[in-house]
Amino acid sequence: MITTLFQLAWVFMKIGTFTFGGGIVIIPMIEKEVVTNYDWLTHTEFVDAVTLGQITPGPVIVSGTFIGYKACGILGAIVATVSVILPSFIMICLATEAIKKFRENKILANFLRGARIAVIGMVFDAGVSIGRSSLVDTKTILIAAVSIICLFKYKVNPIWILLGAGIVGVVT
Amino acid sequence: MNLKKIREQADQLYRRGLHIAGRSEDTESLETAAGLWQKALKLYRKAGDKDKAKLLQKSLVGLYRDKYVKVRGKEEKRSVAKKFKDWFMFFKIGCFGFGGPMAVFTLLQDELVHEKMILTDKDFLEGAVLGDVLPGPVTMDIVTYTGYKLKKWYGAFIATLVFILPSFVIMIVLAMLYDKYSVTPKVSGVLQCLGAAVTGLILSVALRLSKAEMKDYRELCVLLWAFASSIIFKLDIVVIVGLCGLVGIVLYHDDPQELLPE
Repeated sequence: MITTLFQLAWVFMKIGTFTFGGGIVIIPMIEKEVVTNYDWLTHTEFVDAVTLGQITPGPVIVSGTFIGYKACGILGAIVATVSVILPSFIMICLATEAIKKFRENKILANFLRGARIAVIGMVFDAGVSIGRSSLVDTKTILIAAVSIICLFKYKVNPIWILLGAGIVGVVT
Repeated sequence: MNLKKIREQADQLYRRGLHIAGRSEDTESLETAAGLWQKALKLYRKAGDKDKAKLLQKSLVGLYRDKYVKVRGKEEKRSVAKKFKDWFMFFKIGCFGFGGPMAVFTLLQDELVHEKMILTDKDFLEGAVLGDVLPGPVTMDIVTYTGYKLKKWYGAFIATLVFILPSFVIMIVLAMLYDKYSVTPKVSGVLQCLGAAVTGLILSVALRLSKAEMKDYRELCVLLWAFASSIIFKLDIVVIVGLCGLVGIVLYHDDPQELLPE
């Protein structure tokens, strides 16, 4: 159990430190680690984790709480949540303190520019990896296409997309 | 003879005031200095030294306008921030903050800038940009930033903790129910549809980010490389992000960009 807790802390801290773009980007990044590498969740459980994170109030990052719980109970949930927040907590406080120096640092700015692009590439990978197991017939492909259009073009709140998809699943 | 004595006394008062004003900058000592100078001014007038009186009057105005007002404004702002006790507000927003970072940002802005007037709009924008530029969950970044602005590390800690608590508890309860009864519909059809929607969600986020970041072919190359190394070579996130960051330093060295435009 101790090993699992350390692994959880390591995975979530790593992702919390290196992922740009917010909770909705962080969660897919975890997928490969928690589903394939460590086998804490199945694919369907992971999709449920994302869905629950979206439909509950507060930051999307609490999907990580769910994953931590599945891996190692309540302790796991606490460790996962704290680990994913801690790196950016420290960075934000330090950056706010030294905002002037931070603003003027050109090398850091360029590093972050490159790093942000890297994260986009990895989000595409996460999408492909989840899509591979979820898009199995015309209906699911259609749902994915419609949700991409709604979210990207019309900026609908993701909650409605997930509810709509659930209703489609019940009806058909 | 008498006039000379008065003048000397005035000089002394003036110097004492200057000393106090120069040594410490808070409202109290500035007020003391201003009082001393006013006394000196009266004495100069009594002594008939009009030139010095005029000069002193000018510096008195300067002291008031440039220092006193500024220091007082700062102190007032600080004391409002010091008095801030309404951490429950963060809890409230944590309970109702549906819909991602921008929703939380607007709620916090309404409370702290428009209702309580503790922070300014500029402070807020800076926080949002900072959260966007730095890694980690943006919503949490904004909350941490506001907490830090209010009460340094202690404020950041309390704000973050109180904000995450409601959704954390809700999620724990849901996870327990999920484990016991599988609350989410286990009908395979529903799950499949949800999976498809989540796929769409993730891909649309990736598309939105690319739209914001892609400016020319250089970015596209980096993006493709990152995608390939993730999906084909299965490199670790630390390696991919680190390498792309280094590439960024080389790529943009001739085209430096402000990290946080003012």
